[in-house]
Amino acid sequence: MIQVSAFLPELWLVGTAMLVLVVDLFRGPAAGKGPLQWLAALGTLGALVSLSCLNGTCLFSACTVSEPVQSFAGFLKTDSLALFFKMVILLATLLTLLMAVRYFKTHNTYTAEFLAILLFSAAGASALTSAQEIITLYISLETLTISSYLLASFMKKDKGSNEAGMKYLLLGAFSSALLLLGFSYLYGLTGTTVIADVAKSLASQPVSPLLVLSVILIIAGLAFKISLAPFHMWTPDVYEGAPTPVTAFLSVASKTAGFAAFVRLFWVGLSAPSVLPVWMGLFAVLSAMSIVLGNLEALPQRNIKRMMAYSSIAQAGYISTGFLAGGKLGLTAVLFYTFVYLFANLGAFLAIVIVSGKTGSDQIEDYAGMWKRSPLIGVALLVCLLSLAGVPPFAGFSGKWYLFGAAVHMGYTWLALVGMVFSVVSLYYYLQVVRQALVSDAKDPSPIEMNLLEKGVLLICVIFTVTLGFWPRPIMDVAQAAATSLFN
Amino acid sequence: MFPIQVLATILLPFAAAFEFFHNPVDGPNALPILTCFILIPNLAAFLIMATPANWTKWISLFAASLELGLAFRVFTLYQISAGGFQLVEQVPWLNNLGIQYLLGVDGMSTLMVVLVACVYFAGSLISWNVTMRTKEYFVLFSLLVGGVAGAYTSLDLFFFFLFYEFAVLPMYLLVGIWGSGRKEYAAMKLTLMLLAGSAFMLVGFLAMYFSSSVHTFDIRILGNLSQTNFTPEFQNFWFPLLFLGFGVIAAVFPFHTWSPDGYGSAPTAASMLHAGVLKSLGGYSIIRVALPALPQGARHWLPILVFLTIVNILYAAIVALKQKDFKYVIAYSSVSHCGAILFGICTLQVAGLNGAVIQTLSHGIVAAMTFALVGLVYGKAHTRELAKLGGLGAAMPVLGGLFVAAAMANVGLPGLSGFVGEFLIFLGSYRSGFHGGFNIFQVLFPTAILAIVLTAIYYLRLVQIVFYGPVKDPHIKEEAKDGSFIEILPIAFLLVVSLAVGLYPKPFVDLSNATIAPLIDQIGGFK
Repeated sequence: MIQVSAFLPELWLVGTAMLVLVVDLFRGPAAGKGPLQWLAALGTLGALVSLSCLNGTCLFSACTVSEPVQSFAGFLKTDSLALFFKMVILLATLLTLLMAVRYFKTHNTYTAEFLAILLFSAAGASALTSAQEIITLYISLETLTISSYLLASFMKKDKGSNEAGMKYLLLGAFSSALLLLGFSYLYGLTGTTVIADVAKSLASQPVSPLLVLSVILIIAGLAFKISLAPFHMWTPDVYEGAPTPVTAFLSVASKTAGFAAFVRLFWVGLSAPSVLPVWMGLFAVLSAMSIVLGNLEALPQRNIKRMMAYSSIAQAGYISTGFLAGGKLGLTAVLFYTFVYLFANLGAFLAIVIVSGKTGSDQIEDYAGMWKRSPLIGVALLVCLLSLAGVPPFAGFSGKWYLFGAAVHMGYTWLALVGMVFSVVSLYYYLQVVRQALVSDAKDPSPIEMNLLEKGVLLICVIFTVTLGFWPRPIMDVAQAAATSLFN
Repeated sequence: MFPIQVLATILLPFAAAFEFFHNPVDGPNALPILTCFILIPNLAAFLIMATPANWTKWISLFAASLELGLAFRVFTLYQISAGGFQLVEQVPWLNNLGIQYLLGVDGMSTLMVVLVACVYFAGSLISWNVTMRTKEYFVLFSLLVGGVAGAYTSLDLFFFFLFYEFAVLPMYLLVGIWGSGRKEYAAMKLTLMLLAGSAFMLVGFLAMYFSSSVHTFDIRILGNLSQTNFTPEFQNFWFPLLFLGFGVIAAVFPFHTWSPDGYGSAPTAASMLHAGVLKSLGGYSIIRVALPALPQGARHWLPILVFLTIVNILYAAIVALKQKDFKYVIAYSSVSHCGAILFGICTLQVAGLNGAVIQTLSHGIVAAMTFALVGLVYGKAHTRELAKLGGLGAAMPVLGGLFVAAAMANVGLPGLSGFVGEFLIFLGSYRSGFHGGFNIFQVLFPTAILAIVLTAIYYLRLVQIVFYGPVKDPHIKEEAKDGSFIEILPIAFLLVVSLAVGLYPKPFVDLSNATIAPLIDQIGGFK
């Protein structure tokens, strides 16, 4: 029997996307696009609420299921872990839609199609988190990424956006090919595509060179999706060229989905004691490289979207340290940090969208005097960026405390040291923005207006980011419960 | 009329603090005094944000007076005879990593609590005339105090670290926005260097947590675990990293370079707080965390690390001799004095460590006083270049007199607080038992004493150049006026505290010894 509730959020998203397209057809080209945007947001909200239908309780407080809900012969199984990832992805989608509302005020484009593709993309990401089988996982991942190619190149008349889409497509297709090749070797070695069975099969056979090759290919393919160095080359160009809401979506939702895939594949499928050494060392190097390269390359950036691109590479590196440490503590840290990263990064991107809507520029020096033009944006940038840098009392700090704690626990003290030292390096470029926003005087002191919703959401991002720094308990409990579904 | 309002705003909350916190905290219905101590500056920050701009400085002064009242309450409540950590507040915070909200004071932190409150109070008054972006200034100033207050009372490493870095952050904006000279450069340098130091601390804390069998961030327990849980290799690896990590904030050579630039650029109250309170965190944290948790590492490394502190003391003193900027002299003087604190710690001897603690208190008070005076002179003369200053004593006799007193306190004149600390440090270094064939400390301490002579030289030179002699710039003579009541009050207050410590050091040394004597026993130091 097919349990619909196992893929209820995806149904909501896909249904809403269809509805948006159909409604747009009947409204004609001249009609305003506002209602469509609200429809899309409502649909995402519905998907978010549907998460709680899985266990009948509300979000946040107990986003866990006692009994995983499964469907399609167990190929899709929604456990607490999947729920947590879905929550992050859906919240990110919701915030992206809000950014899109502001973005479309100044950029004229095909709104309905944009919204639909964004929702399809979110559906792919959401399905990915509950995939228990390699082909399902791959299909979800491609739903996400192919939609992302389209989104990145959505501004047809804009050269940067076209370049972004093309680069993303070519390199993305290549990485998908690598991933598929890796999967095919894995299938050849184990004779199954169900991740749990892969684990059983691998535990009973010696490590072969083919397995090593397969693991390397899978890591390369997936590392591209979460932009771990050295597979990060596409990130700055795509992040800079893509419409800003898409950049925000890629940096949070797409990355979260990538990590979900990593967790399922590696901590379930490749978690046999004999297989662990095959990928752990490699992954530690990738993680360190991302932290080092991401932070160093962000230093000279003058375009804030490019800077955020490199910053997101470094952030992926930090999250990888927790992923690498694994176990209950490591996975809890990964989940908690993802949640924290969601609000900090999207808060910053919301500010970026609002500011560039007014100034038409993404240059960091054009953030000068934000304390006068809009104090809320100034404070939001301060809080969100410093949280990304991991400075207390912001949430990024407690997140890093847990990530690096898990790393030290598993003996990766050197990695924690690299992470901490380069967090200080990162402070330099985050503070450059803060310096412009709060210290420098404005060239153009005209105030930046926001509507009530934008103010509210920005404020929520700030409040979450501050509160979770010294009181991480509520989310930490949920994250821990989610991590328990994989590690007991 | 005006001073009466000021005095009322000072005295009422001070009295209220005594009225509401007269019960021991563990009694029924008693208010948690240390939580209040941390909350007051932070709440003041929020209150300032929410109220009109002309309330700002009154709120700040009110909060500072309340804080001062609480600090003296803690001072009187702490029972030296009982020793150990008192007024403890403990709430489980995060179970999966054993993090607790754990506050408490022992003798040493009691002194630091008093120091924080004194400097907060003086800084609030000194900032009375800040006109640019006043509200934001006082918000950040209060948050800075809130962070430091938390760092001195936290006994859980998570919260200790949280408050520690939380205190650094407002400093960036304070220097960047309200500073002078190369302010943005100085602010960035200061922030990055301090946080780089703490990067090593954080990993060290995590390493201690996971290496111990109990898995705790409780500083009290970590101290007892050191013998059984941390291998000598572990201690030898982490101690120097922690020492230097903490040392960065105490401006240990070669990581002192943020300090002169930072203080040179910072607005007056910010440099007071930073030099007086935040910098003291360095020595304090070494005694609080590094020594008890890693005693083996301490015994192994201190005879080597002591050379850095000697460089600190002498090098900074020599550099201070050659400065052309008034504030840079004071900044280097502060580096030199903090070197003495670290030197005292390196002796690992009862008197030496007590001296370090008293010197921390004394340096905090005296540096705050000196920076306040420099700020006032700068505000009136509009220049800090020594070449342009001169003969100010005639125009501002009271400030001049106070500066001479501050200079003497820096030099270590008996009767002022500086003397007590330095005397104990040198006594400690003479008695220290480190042997490397011969007692290196007995060789080193005359070198350190040389620094006192240098300190006397550069301070007397300052007094002579700035306050005596002919007036070099007639423009200054016309404009410069003596300090007003509100300007002199904080400095006089700090001077009184310094005198109290200098003339009757017994309660202060007893408090310090309540921490140091058991610590020396526990870690196997020298008596």
